[in-house]
Amino acid sequence: MIAADTRISESEVVMARSLGKFLARKSDISLGFLPGFDFGWRRFFRHPATPFLLPAVIYLFALTIYPFFYSLGTSLLNFSLTSPRPPTFAGLSNYKNLFLDDLFFTALLNTGLITVASVVIEFIIGFSIAHLFIAIADIRASHLLRTVFILPMMVTPVVVGLLWSYILDPLFGIMNFLLSLVGIPAQPWFSDANTALWAIVFVNVWQWSPFLMLICLAALVSIPRDLYEAARIDGARWYQIVMRIELPLVRNTVLVGIIFRIIDNFRMFDIVFASTRGGPGRSTEVISLYAYRQIFQYFNAGYGAAAAVVVLLIAMIITTVAAKLLQSEAYHA
Amino acid sequence: MKKTHLNPLKLLIPIFCAAVALYSQAQETDWSKELQKADGKTLRVIMIQDPWVKGFDTIDKEFQKLTGAEVVVDSYSYDDLHQKEVLMGNNKSDSYDVVVLDSPWVGEFQQGGYVENLKPSLEKDAKIVQWDDFVATFRQVADWKGSIIGVPFGAYFVLFNYRADLFKEAGLSPAKTIEDLKTAAKTFTNNPKFPGGYGIGMNNQRGSAVGQAYFEYIYNFGGKPFASMYPGSADPYADMTPQFTSPQSIEVVQFFKDLLQNEPPGALNMAWDQRANAFATGRLSMACLWSVREPLLEDPSRSKVNGKFGTSVFPTKEGTKPVPPLGGWVMGINTASKQKDLAWDYIKWFTSPETHKKFVLLGGPPSRISTMQDPDVLKKSPWIQTVFESQSQTFADCRPRIPESFQIIDKVGLHVSEALQGQVSIEAAMKQANEEIGALLKKAGYKVSDTP
Repeated sequence: MIAADTRISESEVVMARSLGKFLARKSDISLGFLPGFDFGWRRFFRHPATPFLLPAVIYLFALTIYPFFYSLGTSLLNFSLTSPRPPTFAGLSNYKNLFLDDLFFTALLNTGLITVASVVIEFIIGFSIAHLFIAIADIRASHLLRTVFILPMMVTPVVVGLLWSYILDPLFGIMNFLLSLVGIPAQPWFSDANTALWAIVFVNVWQWSPFLMLICLAALVSIPRDLYEAARIDGARWYQIVMRIELPLVRNTVLVGIIFRIIDNFRMFDIVFASTRGGPGRSTEVISLYAYRQIFQYFNAGYGAAAAVVVLLIAMIITTVAAKLLQSEAYHA
Repeated sequence: MKKTHLNPLKLLIPIFCAAVALYSQAQETDWSKELQKADGKTLRVIMIQDPWVKGFDTIDKEFQKLTGAEVVVDSYSYDDLHQKEVLMGNNKSDSYDVVVLDSPWVGEFQQGGYVENLKPSLEKDAKIVQWDDFVATFRQVADWKGSIIGVPFGAYFVLFNYRADLFKEAGLSPAKTIEDLKTAAKTFTNNPKFPGGYGIGMNNQRGSAVGQAYFEYIYNFGGKPFASMYPGSADPYADMTPQFTSPQSIEVVQFFKDLLQNEPPGALNMAWDQRANAFATGRLSMACLWSVREPLLEDPSRSKVNGKFGTSVFPTKEGTKPVPPLGGWVMGINTASKQKDLAWDYIKWFTSPETHKKFVLLGGPPSRISTMQDPDVLKKSPWIQTVFESQSQTFADCRPRIPESFQIIDKVGLHVSEALQGQVSIEAAMKQANEEIGALLKKAGYKVSDTP
């Protein structure tokens, strides 16, 4: 097979430079109203890599930056999609009403609870199963087992929600039937305010533990074997190995996975929508469902956009803090 | 299935209707003259994903033969349908020509200008459509401030379903009153004579499910959700002061809460499907179900209670006039459609007495008086007799039909669910519902008094 020639030809460089110069000229015109103010645009447009970066920049602008500013703008309006009246400027009143709505705070609290509980349990299970897979690495069936273990991750969350609402149905579900075989009384699962949130956490953990398992597995296999040997020679117990060797060494890798999971949990919608719709009462109300209901069921676009912006800000703060934490850990390492 | 008794006074109505039906049949429409040719065109219909949708596949082939136009039907779940139709209306999209909409959305769609006023078309084709043959209250449902938003084709009524065999064994009569219903619910729960069964299944799931259930019962407890909203009101929307803290309203929620003891495990998360399935599998002795579920119960391949259940009119509180809940679907024309003539041809053909009868025989919900009294229809589905008895007692605005109705029902659903769960007292929950809905309606410009 002939390998593809990935080198950039001279003519392509000339073309890129011409395009860069053209855009730079255009940028000079468009930024002419800001004399002496340099955003770095000129350098950006003159750079030969610019034409290759532009598709990504356009994509980012169209699908991330523009919708964000559009949501921000909408959140400042009294804007009902079903009202014949045109939108009016509302200032910060949507935000004020949001913080006066106790359902929003319940949703925030529930989302926080689901996030903390899920991520902690997923990590414990993921870390333990990763150990198990390392221990059975010599067995031929281990690859098959690993594939089977990550299957839940590949199922669409809304399907997971529906699947588990059938399994955990108190009247017809197989779970209560299985429990009855070992003498455990039927559980209400999704239909009781005391158990519904934990049932959601259980389903979430079932689906996403494999993700943290994969990350832990990758991190654990990269730990040099001689560290384990030295620890054993020094008489270290298993928990000392975990606490003093493994956790410090896998921390950076695992933190990346945990950040992903925190963001995922903040966006949790499908499982709750398919199983409880936020009930019973407000016991499983989460912020994505709250925002969805405002925008797509009540068509209060302004108020819903305010909720979405707040959710985004919270996710950004958590991600930034976690990223800082990562950077400082990397620095100390 | 056990047949229900008919009030002899009402015999005159079916005789009259049968005469109308026979007359109509004798004068069958010549569709080749009434419908325009539309070879190669495609008519797109958006509708609810209810059990009768497959009936459209069979019937629409006839329309294709008559006009040459292909009919494509896309169906969605309740919330998805509402969302898609509203967004389509806002964007003035012509992706669908015929829009099927639920009764509480009528005001929203008219005020948003999403659907055409069909009054001129109905007047033009009055002989074909036979407007007066539709259930009277359902005609009112389709009418918003003088505009006809759609033509009825899928009227739903909540019927009281009971296990006739078990009721006979227990020496009970079908529940006519709320008190009868409570007694029967106790009789069939934890009773060694009727092992493994439960008295009743209610729509308790948070949101639309329990919110709609509240509106189904409030009138039958002698109450009203808003100051002017009650059967016989001259203008149900004149005074929208919420009445959710009234003694009748509290009584409704208390009734829901009391019944939980006679419902199966998981009752607090039970909605339309679970309730119907629990009754169809023989786990419940009673269930008040929308009539659209009846074909499921009489299908031996999906129901264990086929031939064992009976239907009667929705129960009401002793001394209160029954108000059987009414709902269902009307067919309108998308304002942005570029094929309005073809869409109207389809609607008038589909809702005509002869096509409607075919649709009902395929499992569609009966919406015409003549169809409800058609011998072929009654022979196939005897429960339609109960539909006929219910229809004259219904109230067009049993669920509000204003743009805010979805939000109102959802808010009621949240607070009733909290009360059922015991997170707050019934009084506190309904007080909060009253305040939130009052504020919502006030902001939307309705008349709301400060002290309900």
